[in-house]
Amino acid sequence: MNFFIVLRKEITEQWRTKRLLIVAAVLVLFGLASPLLAKVTPDLLKSIPDMPPGLADLIPAPTLADAVGQYIKNMSQFGILLAVLMSMGVVTQEKERGTAAMMLTHPVSRLTFLLTKFAALGFTFAVSLAAAALGCWYYTLLLFEALPWGTFLALNGLMLIVFLVYVAVTLFCSALARTQGASAGLSFAGLVLVAGIGSVPRIGEYFPGQLFNWGGTLALGGEASNWPALWGSLGLIVISLTAAWLVFRHQET
Amino acid sequence: MDFSEIQQYIPFLIPVLIIQLALMIAALVDLIRREHTRGPKWVWALVIVLANYIGPIIYFVAGRKDE
Amino acid sequence: MIQVENLHKHYGAVHALDGLTMTVKPGVVYGFLGPNGAGKTTTLRILTGLARPTSGRASVAGIDLSSDGRALSRHIGYLPEEPAFYPWMTPREFLDYLGRLHGLSSTQRTARVKELLDLVNLAEAGKRRIGGFSRGMRQRLGFAAALVHRPEVLLLDEPVSALDPSGRKEVLDLIEGLREQCTVLMSSHILADVERVCNVVGIIAKGRMVVQSPREMLMERYAQPVFEADGEDPLAMKRWADLLKRQKWVAAVAVAGATVRVTANDVVLARHELMASAAAQELVLRRYEELRPSLEDVFLQLVETEAVK
Repeated sequence: MNFFIVLRKEITEQWRTKRLLIVAAVLVLFGLASPLLAKVTPDLLKSIPDMPPGLADLIPAPTLADAVGQYIKNMSQFGILLAVLMSMGVVTQEKERGTAAMMLTHPVSRLTFLLTKFAALGFTFAVSLAAAALGCWYYTLLLFEALPWGTFLALNGLMLIVFLVYVAVTLFCSALARTQGASAGLSFAGLVLVAGIGSVPRIGEYFPGQLFNWGGTLALGGEASNWPALWGSLGLIVISLTAAWLVFRHQET
Repeated sequence: MDFSEIQQYIPFLIPVLIIQLALMIAALVDLIRREHTRGPKWVWALVIVLANYIGPIIYFVAGRKDE
Repeated sequence: MIQVENLHKHYGAVHALDGLTMTVKPGVVYGFLGPNGAGKTTTLRILTGLARPTSGRASVAGIDLSSDGRALSRHIGYLPEEPAFYPWMTPREFLDYLGRLHGLSSTQRTARVKELLDLVNLAEAGKRRIGGFSRGMRQRLGFAAALVHRPEVLLLDEPVSALDPSGRKEVLDLIEGLREQCTVLMSSHILADVERVCNVVGIIAKGRMVVQSPREMLMERYAQPVFEADGEDPLAMKRWADLLKRQKWVAAVAVAGATVRVTANDVVLARHELMASAAAQELVLRRYEELRPSLEDVFLQLVETEAVK
């Protein structure tokens, strides 16, 4: 199958162009820093000089929930930003540079061309997130207590799906755009659009943003489920990739 | 003022610093081996070295130009 | 091998191709000539399946272009005007990757990659990153990339235009060496190159075929000889030119200083009469020559007549 031959090349590209390194470094940093920040923030606040004596006692002691909360907050911001940054040029760059035309005259279908890019970016984020989760889990163990690993894994799985939604939407923008600049503009518009609709009360229920809350509750041992958001997110990935293919299928590269 | 409580967390920062250093070195190696960058090379070298963490990332995302 | 019928390609109001028809028979090296903007690249891109015609039919190696594009890719090799590669790869890796895509086994790939790198003279650079390659090296690598799977049809878009004279000779020699192995369609606006390697020539202008014929026939049919004579005395030469203009067998006379250039209607008669006429005028000639026009003269003549229409 040519799919796997192309995928192998795409993953090698992720490695050689340092994309994998950047994503892993950023996510692992926040994986480690989140529990650490949660732990030291109260101490830092207490060490502020001239703090009224009564107020220092009011600062609550850090809890496991703070650690997980920090982790989710940082990942949602930087993970999504990276998903957009790493994906926005991938198709446009090949169109501009001429490598797309070069490859498409060999036995690489346009569908394979797009899907392998999605899969390779998915690989980058999955590997990086796994390393980040491991770091976060270990630091939380040292600084607080052991997180139940099953539900923590579920949290990270849900986060990965959120990242993949943004990768897919950005890939669509990249397939649509003719130039790198246009691709960047469209991609950030896409980011704002998906995040924006996600915060509209009723429709937002079906958007990826909800997955963070669900995962967070689960990781802390709470009961929660938000299947509409999961199906909505998976649907958004499928729709984005299909749209990307429809746009790219007849595009003259 | 009491920093002793905070000091005990310093060992936890070591892995973070290692990642930061690795990223910086990777960015510098890439910069040296590359023939063309967007903007002068020495500016990028400064950005990579002086801006912790963010510097190398900005370089990787925006500074590299196709040869 | 290649059949193109009444092909149209419109980009908005611009008609890049305006009813192009051409036939490339198996085994020929077809020179596709035309001024910049005549529609050469558009035609090649349609033949590779990268662009779609607005209307008309085309087939390559027996495959209709409106059908499956993937089947096509196994039969054609394409060298774009500016071949592009992944800068992080080495030539070895790139050719190996293409070999994989075309289903070659590991041992076949090793042999083929080595063979191709030797062919295009990149064996020494085989392990360097493509990112640092010069224009000429890229062109040669692109040539190797188009040949990985031994295609039946090779489509070359301006394969030598960007090269220096020695690189140009190398690539032309490569094309000449392929004559037995596959059908080649190469576009160019440099006529000397086409004259050197192509045995069939098609000339297009404004998206239409002006003339298509074996090179020899083209020269015979369109290339009327020109007679040129250098004299001693410009005034005497001018008088002679005026005299010649009145002869029936003379089509046109041009004078520049002491040089007279005569285009004949009847070449055989001209060969006899010109010298006799010069002798009768007691002219002293330093040089007298019958010139075979280059493809360039033919090309200009044809494109000009097309423009007049």
